[in-house]
Amino acid sequence: MANQDFVGIPSQVDTRALNRGATDFQRLRRGLLINYLVLGAGAILMVVPFIWMISTSFKPQAETVSFPPRLFPINPTISNYIDVFDRANMGRLYWNTTFISVIKTIFNIYTSALLGYIFGKFVFRGRDIIFYILLSTWIIPFEVYLIPLYLMTVQVGWADTYTALIVPEIFTIYAMFMFRQFMYTIPTELIDAARIDGAGEWYIFHRIIIPLSRAALFTLIAFYFMWNWNDFLWPLVVISSHDKYVITVGLATFVGEFWNQYGVIMAGASLAIVPILALFIAVQRFIIEGVVLTGLKG
Amino acid sequence: MIQNIAQKFTGSRSTLRAAEHRFIIIALVPTILFYAIVKFYPIFFSFFISMHEWSLFGNVSPFVGLDNYVLLAKDSLFYKVMWNTMYRTFAGTFLGAFCSLIVALILNPIKRGSILLRLLYFLPVMTSVIASATIWKWMLQTRFGLLNQLLSFVGIQPVPWLQSTTWAMPSIIVMGIWGGIGFTVIIYLAGLKGIPKDYYEAAEIDGASSLQLAFRITLPLLKPVVSFVLITGVIGGFSGGFQAIYMMTGGGPLDSTRVLALHIYDYAFQRMFMGQASSMSFVLFAIVLILTLVQFKLQRVDWEL
Repeated sequence: MANQDFVGIPSQVDTRALNRGATDFQRLRRGLLINYLVLGAGAILMVVPFIWMISTSFKPQAETVSFPPRLFPINPTISNYIDVFDRANMGRLYWNTTFISVIKTIFNIYTSALLGYIFGKFVFRGRDIIFYILLSTWIIPFEVYLIPLYLMTVQVGWADTYTALIVPEIFTIYAMFMFRQFMYTIPTELIDAARIDGAGEWYIFHRIIIPLSRAALFTLIAFYFMWNWNDFLWPLVVISSHDKYVITVGLATFVGEFWNQYGVIMAGASLAIVPILALFIAVQRFIIEGVVLTGLKG
Repeated sequence: MIQNIAQKFTGSRSTLRAAEHRFIIIALVPTILFYAIVKFYPIFFSFFISMHEWSLFGNVSPFVGLDNYVLLAKDSLFYKVMWNTMYRTFAGTFLGAFCSLIVALILNPIKRGSILLRLLYFLPVMTSVIASATIWKWMLQTRFGLLNQLLSFVGIQPVPWLQSTTWAMPSIIVMGIWGGIGFTVIIYLAGLKGIPKDYYEAAEIDGASSLQLAFRITLPLLKPVVSFVLITGVIGGFSGGFQAIYMMTGGGPLDSTRVLALHIYDYAFQRMFMGQASSMSFVLFAIVLILTLVQFKLQRVDWEL
C-alpha cells in the first residue's frame, strides 16, 4: 500500500530508499504512536502496584483507609518504616538474607562454571550420559524431594541451621547448562595453546575460562543472587528460629502479625523489594542483554 | 544423539593427559555424589515414604502399600485440587503467553525508550513473589483496596476479590501474569530478533500490509518460541503457585484456590501426613514427567545447539 504513493516518481531516483523512508515515517506517525500508547498504558499497570506500595508506606494508618484514594499522603510519615525496623528486626533479616544469598551464589556460579567447562570442552568416556543424567534432574519439581530432603536434614541434625539452607543447593543445573552453552563461543585452540605453554588445568580454568565467560557470568550471578534472595519454600520449612529467618519468611510472618496495619506492611514490602530492585536497575543493561546472549540458544 | 554417544564411547579421542584426567575426576566425583544424595536418593525415599503412613511425630510408620494412592483416587478434595491446579496452569499460561506476545510484537519495532519500557515490564520479575503478593493483597482488599476504590468511581460495588470463590483464582492468575510477563517478553524479543529483516523488506516491496507481515511472517516464524513458552509454562504451572496463594488466600475461600503445591505443603508440614503428601508429590512428578516427554516428542529440542 505504501508503494502506491510513489507511482509517479521517475525511475532514476532510488525508489526503494525513498519507499523505506516513507514507510518509516508513516509508521512513526500512525503505527509507533499507537505502540507507545499501548505500551505506556501497560507499563503503568506494571508499576502501579509498586507506586501504591510506596505511597501507602508513607501514610499514617487513618489515611491508608480513607476515601478517595490519594497518591500523595496528606501527612507523610516515616513511622511505618521505624515500626518495621523495630518489630520485624529488619536489620537482622537483611544481614541473614545477604549472607546466605552471597554464599549460595558463589557456590552456584563457581561449580556451574567448572562443570559447564568440563562438559563443554572435554571429550571423555561417558561425558554425555553423565551430562544428560544431571540435566534430567532439572525437570523434577522441588515438591517431589521437599519431604525426603527435609527428613534427611533433620536426620543429620541440620534442622534450623544455615548449613541446611546452603548445602543442598550448592550445585545447580540451569547455570551449568548455560555455561556449557557459552563454552562453544570460546575457541578450543586457546585452551590447547595454554596447555602447550605449560599452564595447569586449574590455571586455565581460573585465568582463561572464567575471564572469557564474563558476559554469561555477570548475568547468571545477577539472576542467582535474585533467586537466592527471593527463595521462600525451603527456608520456610527448614528454619524455625526467628533470628535466623530470611527476608521472605520474615515478611510473610510479619504480614500475618500486622495484617490490618497496611502502612506498616507496605513499608515492610518496600524494604524487602527496594535493595534488590536498586541492584538490578544498576546492572540491568547486562542482564537484559545477557538473557538474550545465554538464554536463547536452546 | 545416540550415535553421538556411541561415537564418544568408541572414539579414538579418549587419550587425555593425566592432568586433564585428574581435573575431570576432581570436579565430577563430588558432583555425582551430590546429585546422587540430594536429587536421586530423595526420589526413591519419597516413593518409600508414600508407601507408609508417615508422620513426624510418633515413631511407628506402618507400611500401607499403595493405600495412600488409593485414598487420593477416592478423595474429592484431591480432585478439586487437581482441577484448581489445571485451571490456574492453563488459564495463566495461555493468557500470559498471549499478553506477552502482544507486548513483544509492539515493543519490537521501538528503538527510543525500549530499554526503559523493558525494565518497567521486568520489575515484577525481580520482585519476590512474597512481596508482590503482599502488595496485591492490599490492592485487592475489599473495603480499602485501591482497585475497589477506583471501581467505585464508575459505580461498581466493592467486589470481595480474594474472599469470593469466583474471583479469588482469577485474581491470583492476573497477579501471576503481571509477575511473569516481563520474562516472557524478553524470550519473545530474542525470538523476534532471529527473524531476518530481509523477509520484511521483501514483503513490504511486494506491498504487504503490516497485518499481513504479522500473520504471514512473524507468527509462523515465531511458532517454535511460542510453543516453548506454552509448554514450559504448563510444566512449571503444575508445580507452581505456592508463594502467591500461600500469601494471598491460603488456599481459600472454600479451597477454591488450593493448588497442588500448596496442598502438598499443607499435608506434609501442617497436618503432618507425610505419606499422603508424598503420594501427591508422586502424582505431580508423573504429570511433569509425561508433559516433558510430550515436549521432547513435539519439539525435538536439540540440546546440542
